[in-house]
Amino acid sequence: MTGDPGSGGAAFLLPVGEGPDGAILGLLAGALESGAVDALLLPVPLPAGDSFAWILTRDPAVAAGGRPLPPVMPVQGARALRDLTRKGESDVRILALMRPCEIRAARELAKLGQVRTDGLLLASWDCPGALCSKDHVADPDGAGRRFAGMIAAGSPDAGGGVRSSCPGCVDFSMTDADVHFGLLGEQDGALPVMAGSPAGRTLLGSLGLTPAAGTARWKLRAEMERERRETSRRAADEAAGSKLRGAEGLLSFFSACIGCRICRAVCPICHCRLCHFDSETPRPDPDAFFDGAELRGGASLPANRLLFHVGRMTHMSLSCVSCGQCSDACPAGIPVADAFGFVGRAAREAFGYEAGRGDGIPHPLRTWRRIEPDGIGGLVRDAEPGACAHE
Amino acid sequence: MNSIVSRLDASAAVRELLGWLLGEGRTDAVLTPRRLPEDGSCDLALLTAPEGLDRAEPLLPVMTTNAGQALSHLSLSGRRLTAVLKPCELRAFTERVKREQGSFERLLTVSFVCGGVFPLGRVLSDGPDTLAAAALEAARRGETPAGVRETCAACEHFVPTNADVLVSSGEDGCRIHLCTPRAEEALEGFGGERVDTAPDPAGIERVLAARSAARAELYRALPVEGGLDGLIDLFGRCVGCHGCSRVCPICYCLLCDFESAGLEGDLPRFRAALDERGGLRLPSGTILFHLGRMTHMSFSCVGCGMCSDACPAGIPVAAVFGRTGGRTAALFDYVPGRDAEEPVPVTVFREEELDDIG
Repeated sequence: MTGDPGSGGAAFLLPVGEGPDGAILGLLAGALESGAVDALLLPVPLPAGDSFAWILTRDPAVAAGGRPLPPVMPVQGARALRDLTRKGESDVRILALMRPCEIRAARELAKLGQVRTDGLLLASWDCPGALCSKDHVADPDGAGRRFAGMIAAGSPDAGGGVRSSCPGCVDFSMTDADVHFGLLGEQDGALPVMAGSPAGRTLLGSLGLTPAAGTARWKLRAEMERERRETSRRAADEAAGSKLRGAEGLLSFFSACIGCRICRAVCPICHCRLCHFDSETPRPDPDAFFDGAELRGGASLPANRLLFHVGRMTHMSLSCVSCGQCSDACPAGIPVADAFGFVGRAAREAFGYEAGRGDGIPHPLRTWRRIEPDGIGGLVRDAEPGACAHE
Repeated sequence: MNSIVSRLDASAAVRELLGWLLGEGRTDAVLTPRRLPEDGSCDLALLTAPEGLDRAEPLLPVMTTNAGQALSHLSLSGRRLTAVLKPCELRAFTERVKREQGSFERLLTVSFVCGGVFPLGRVLSDGPDTLAAAALEAARRGETPAGVRETCAACEHFVPTNADVLVSSGEDGCRIHLCTPRAEEALEGFGGERVDTAPDPAGIERVLAARSAARAELYRALPVEGGLDGLIDLFGRCVGCHGCSRVCPICYCLLCDFESAGLEGDLPRFRAALDERGGLRLPSGTILFHLGRMTHMSFSCVGCGMCSDACPAGIPVAAVFGRTGGRTAALFDYVPGRDAEEPVPVTVFREEELDDIG
């Protein structure tokens, strides 16, 4: 499905004019003014200019101040959609413009019952990656210039200070959006806009755009970029895999963790109101904690930091979209997303599952099968001989 | 004050003292920062045997977690515990004890004249050993190390007021001051030359003057005027992760008001905001969260700086909370954590108070 205009089966041309940001804003404004949608959800720069906020608006003046292609992702868009729709489907028709990983997280949350996509139209763009948020705060102009270079090249390799999960992201283009802006297909002053669903086709069809003769250039460039990123991804997974072997590897990887759980707070997938690891269950009573310290010659505080990461991995990594929020936010600088991405991919492979598709395939943890995939036992055996004595 | 003279640097002297306490059975466990050299990181460790102490770095100028927060839970056990605490960790713990979130009963506190801690980001880039060496060098000169957390460089409470054992550094080693009968009793028989001395008042005055000036400058530079616009300037970058609250040693509520269901947005509220204001920010309520947290805890803020260090958006949370909290506490002549017997102002009822607020 990736890279295919999909069930919408339609492509149009959007004149670029001053640049893709302005062109996309123009299309969004048209959708609002024509009444095709009631409201827009898009990133808007803060007055200080050092970051961006998700703004839901029906005011064309507010929308005109938006930045469709922001260099950073301070809040994962699926989190904004979750806050908006978890208590019920919106009766306001909303067009949301997001990075592909934000839409994939939203699709995943929809499967988990935490986002209602019914009244939503999701639009994505060819994403060259996101810059580290703190770098942008420190130097918004410099970061903006670096990002402009990445947009022009369509690649994370063109900028410095990109999140570590972006160069290996193969789902950077059209995956499961209703509408997709094919920045990589820009040619002769216009870029292709694709419909990925009947609703997307209806929307685009109502805006008076010229139909595109074809999307071959976009497909070719996206495919070349995907191959580059596939190479990076393999290298990143190899590196993560070699670091994460066994309990010692895990301990070492997460040794700088301070136990703040900000990785969970910024994760679009982690949605539980009361996380198991915040409950009283995993917290040892103080005397048991001393006993544990005596047994092992010492104990590290706050307690259960590694258990938290491994537990969170078990709970959500099947749905991990490798957006990199966790790494971006970690105050200790741990590349959390590298570990979760690697483990999530291995687990999904065992289930033959892809995260973030609106494909109607249910989430593996919500599916009962009399016989579960054999590959999982094999994964455990391969990973740590001796660690599966229970088998 | 009865004091022990040591030629060792303060960290090594405290390590020796902890080893003696464990070896003599005067304490069941010690709580201390520890280096993890193989990973280039460090942590806060609970150690029960002298053998575990070789990697302990009691005065490590790093705060991975405010030890007052961790100690809160541990101090409720039946064991005797010796805790090495930075002054703001001791003050945070004291504030928690006032809220019945911890106990001094079986605790021996060891604190020291504190030069401050380095931001967490420096642990990975420089390594704990380099940071420890820089702090030691500055302590010998009686100065604040360059590059510590901005709230540390602006901290006026760097000499602990209610520790059992207080350690001060000098050019030729350190002095271990026994400040309470509990300290005298615990260290009876611990070797070393004893003298009657206190931390050098002239040196403390000098550092205090520099810190006060830094504090004034830190607060002066905050964009804190101008109503809602000013608040957006301050907190606009907030991503709503509540990490500041999680790492705060004062925020102890298991269910924070701002994480309760009542404050979650719902569709009627979103629609109303769309109709009235033309727009709505998501996640919503980020500024309300900061104002609320400020109301709930800032008069007890000890200025440890964990919040600023943890903030993924780089908001100077600690400076804002320190400034507001300091001004509120001053109305009550209150210094958070100075003395366990001093009640928290919000727990005291007075028929008439604070006319000027009304």
